[in-house]
Amino acid sequence: MRIGVVTFPGSNCDTDTLEALESLDVGVESIWYQDADLAQVDGVILPGGFSYGDYLRSGALAAKAPVMAAIRAQVEEGALPVLGICNGFQILTESGLLPGTLRPNRHGEFRCDWQTLRVVEASPFFPGLMPGELLRLPIAHGEGAFYVPPGTLATVFQQGEAWLQYVDESGLLNAVINPNGSMANLAGIKRGSVAALMPHPERAMADYLGSSDGRRLLSAWLKGIGQEGSYAG
Amino acid sequence: MRAEDVGLSQAEYQRILELMGREPNDLELGLYGALWSEHCSYKSSKSLLAHLPNRGEAVVQGPGGNAGVVRLAEGVEIAFKVESHNHPSYVEPVQGAATGVGGILRDIIAMGARPIAVADALRFGTDRPSMQLLEGVVKGVGQYGNAIGIPTVTGDIGFSSTYRANPLVNVMALGVRRPQEAIGAATAEPGQLLVLVGQRTGRDGIHGASLLASRDFDEESQELRPTVQVGDPFLGKLLMETTLQAVKEGLLGALQDLGAAGLTSAVAELCESSGVGAVLWLDRVPLREPGLTPYEIMLSETQERMLMVVPEGNLSRLQAICEHYEILATVIGEVTVGHQLIIHHHRVEEAHLNTTWLVGTAPRRPVDELWWDGLNSSATLDEALPEVPSFSVGLLLKVLSHLDVRDRWSVYRQYDSMIQTRTVLGPGHDAAVLKLRGLEPGIALTVAGPGRWTAVDPYAGGAGAVYRALSALAAQGASPLGLTDGINAGNPDKPESYRAMAMVIRGVADAARATGVPVTGGNVSLHNETQGEPIWPTVIVGAVGRHPRPEEPVRDRLSEVGERLFLLNPAPLNWGGSAAAWTTGQPTAYPRVDGDRARRVLEAVRDWVAAEHPRAMRVIGDGGLGATLVRLWVASEPSLGIEVQLAEKSPQEKTLRFYNESPLQWIAVLAEDDVDRAIAWWTRESLAYAELGRVTESGLCIVDGRYQWAYSDVMAVWHQAYKEVEA
Repeated sequence: MRIGVVTFPGSNCDTDTLEALESLDVGVESIWYQDADLAQVDGVILPGGFSYGDYLRSGALAAKAPVMAAIRAQVEEGALPVLGICNGFQILTESGLLPGTLRPNRHGEFRCDWQTLRVVEASPFFPGLMPGELLRLPIAHGEGAFYVPPGTLATVFQQGEAWLQYVDESGLLNAVINPNGSMANLAGIKRGSVAALMPHPERAMADYLGSSDGRRLLSAWLKGIGQEGSYAG
Repeated sequence: MRAEDVGLSQAEYQRILELMGREPNDLELGLYGALWSEHCSYKSSKSLLAHLPNRGEAVVQGPGGNAGVVRLAEGVEIAFKVESHNHPSYVEPVQGAATGVGGILRDIIAMGARPIAVADALRFGTDRPSMQLLEGVVKGVGQYGNAIGIPTVTGDIGFSSTYRANPLVNVMALGVRRPQEAIGAATAEPGQLLVLVGQRTGRDGIHGASLLASRDFDEESQELRPTVQVGDPFLGKLLMETTLQAVKEGLLGALQDLGAAGLTSAVAELCESSGVGAVLWLDRVPLREPGLTPYEIMLSETQERMLMVVPEGNLSRLQAICEHYEILATVIGEVTVGHQLIIHHHRVEEAHLNTTWLVGTAPRRPVDELWWDGLNSSATLDEALPEVPSFSVGLLLKVLSHLDVRDRWSVYRQYDSMIQTRTVLGPGHDAAVLKLRGLEPGIALTVAGPGRWTAVDPYAGGAGAVYRALSALAAQGASPLGLTDGINAGNPDKPESYRAMAMVIRGVADAARATGVPVTGGNVSLHNETQGEPIWPTVIVGAVGRHPRPEEPVRDRLSEVGERLFLLNPAPLNWGGSAAAWTTGQPTAYPRVDGDRARRVLEAVRDWVAAEHPRAMRVIGDGGLGATLVRLWVASEPSLGIEVQLAEKSPQEKTLRFYNESPLQWIAVLAEDDVDRAIAWWTRESLAYAELGRVTESGLCIVDGRYQWAYSDVMAVWHQAYKEVEA
């Protein structure tokens, strides 16, 4: 199995993500954003960072990059597994592969902190991550408030697209621990073979870093890709 | 143009006439103005800084380069330095702070090292506008560091009305390199090409070094806003990757970043340290807007630029890397034999100077050695103990709400402290701890330097800052590799300000020498003075150490009922410039710390921690023993409590013990079973200690059985966000 990690100009979590994957003994490939060849990979991660500096709107320019056209085609034709992390989430909503948008944090500040997340829905792409399961992962973003137009939030839940939510340490939803003003405390969204989250699993790969729940999440994803085998890359 | 237009004195102008044997033209005068400025030449401080010890086993590169370099382990070197961006941050806080971060990162990159950590030391006033400055500066530090992807892993924040119109923004950065990636500005050879890489040059920041950073502030300073540069971390990231790739592939003959005084300083420093000359073709410099004059091009402080010195054969490969990262690279000149700097613009020779005149013979204020020797004396040394308030519940709450003592989390959570996944201990601890991949030893780093101490006694405060920083490393069992110092002071032409700066440097020098830790580089920011009022002389000391087991750092919280608390190396009862002293308005002078003893204590604590790995350690910090107990407590489960018995008898003595901030003191938290062994170790090493008490299950902090605080009372005060305390 080989996983591609896309580097846009200004991506800054690409190296961390490649190293996290390597520690899980999977083959990795760094993909420059102008390359559109995904033939060698079984799944793609869009890592965190500030692609293009994000001076327009997080992810807006990256969504138009050559590599995104290739990813879109492979998702639509072959259910290519794609995981967006932080800025990668923003790129996926900007490109329309995931619903909603990510707005600036409601308090107007960048926020770096540990958060507890609860799995809302199981996904065949993350076998073993059961609804109600808790994960402790760091966040680091200035634009992470998930938003969908009024009246459409229920659809997100009904269609099983609500994936992860910010919860307190005991696993309960509450407004106080919402770090950015996200609708329904949503931290992660999925649709088909595409999933994305604002927190950084690649930073939680060992207990000495504060948590190894990122290892659990990424392992589940790799396992899912192995099992699904749906994408014959 | 006259000499004063570029910040030069008449005497300096006369010296230029002597050197050149003719009148300089405007461009040449501008170059002198920039390079002979306080900011670039260190003319007032260089002879003082020469007294700092800079040699040591681990030192690879001492002062003089873009950053100091020390050896962490076989095959791994660390480049690190602190820099200030004080004046720009007052004029334009967000951009001033952002470009401060960008600037020090380029210094690290210019040594061939990949930056892996930033630490910021900030000082602000206490009024409302100061809080707005704080907000802007924190945004700026985060904006640049978060976006370029370098974690801000630790820092230090202090407040006093003295910084109202002169906030301090000192940023330390640290990078790692392999020895074969070592590069610098001293290796350029004739025939090699000068390649300017990065941002197009614009009109921003012209004369930032000579007119903004090297003069006192007055009403006109606000008009200097156009001299502040604008940072672009996105381009900074591309420039960093381009540069490090070129270094890794061995394409460069030498490397110099563009900072203060832009191209002028970069070329002159490069030529002077490599012992070569240069020809520049300014018409080739890519411009952001047409029509810049040679003067503007030479003095622009546009950010995100590097000067690479490239053998002709490597040029096409360098250009390919730059193309990949979509970044401009332009040949703008050539290295020549000799010392002549010749500047052409459209085939016209615009300037012709000797680089030795510009850099080597820049004016320098001499230091009288006898005067230097006497700087550690203190007239108020044997002063009687001050009148201090009796021990009370209220005083702790008052001290905890002192702006210096409060929780800094409202600031630190705005910084990405975890990117690059090396951060084992981030902000909020005495020292940050980083774990490098595939390497046994880790890095411990810290910054310290309470202005409250230097305000009372510049010498003791300077030494104290070194001791505080080294105490934080010792608490992790980490061995110090090197120090960097950021000196911030007033107008050096005023005798009091000059003497205060000198005393601070003397204090740093004595403490560094006594403890055997070299100062491998640093920064001096003078003219922190507004309308005749200087700031407290303030030093920011950054320390870097080798951590023996970064995956298991020493914790700084209580973990279970029954743990025992000890005060290591209790200081003589003294009030000094502690937060409590300033809160009650009665600071006093410090007794001198014996350097040899300081070294023994630091080594004993470090060795004990490394060998025995206590449950928790915390350096006695801002707010003294009382506030340090609170820091341990609030990091723990709220159900735990602390019971302390002070050995001091009188209520005044108890107050002095509880709020004393003298350096070289620690709280050690031990498992019950480890106590006997620890005491035996301390006794063997002649390390003084006092038993403080134990961890309870009360959820209360109780002192002497009668003074009592609830967890929530303490949290409510300590955890407050920063807010003005004066109009």
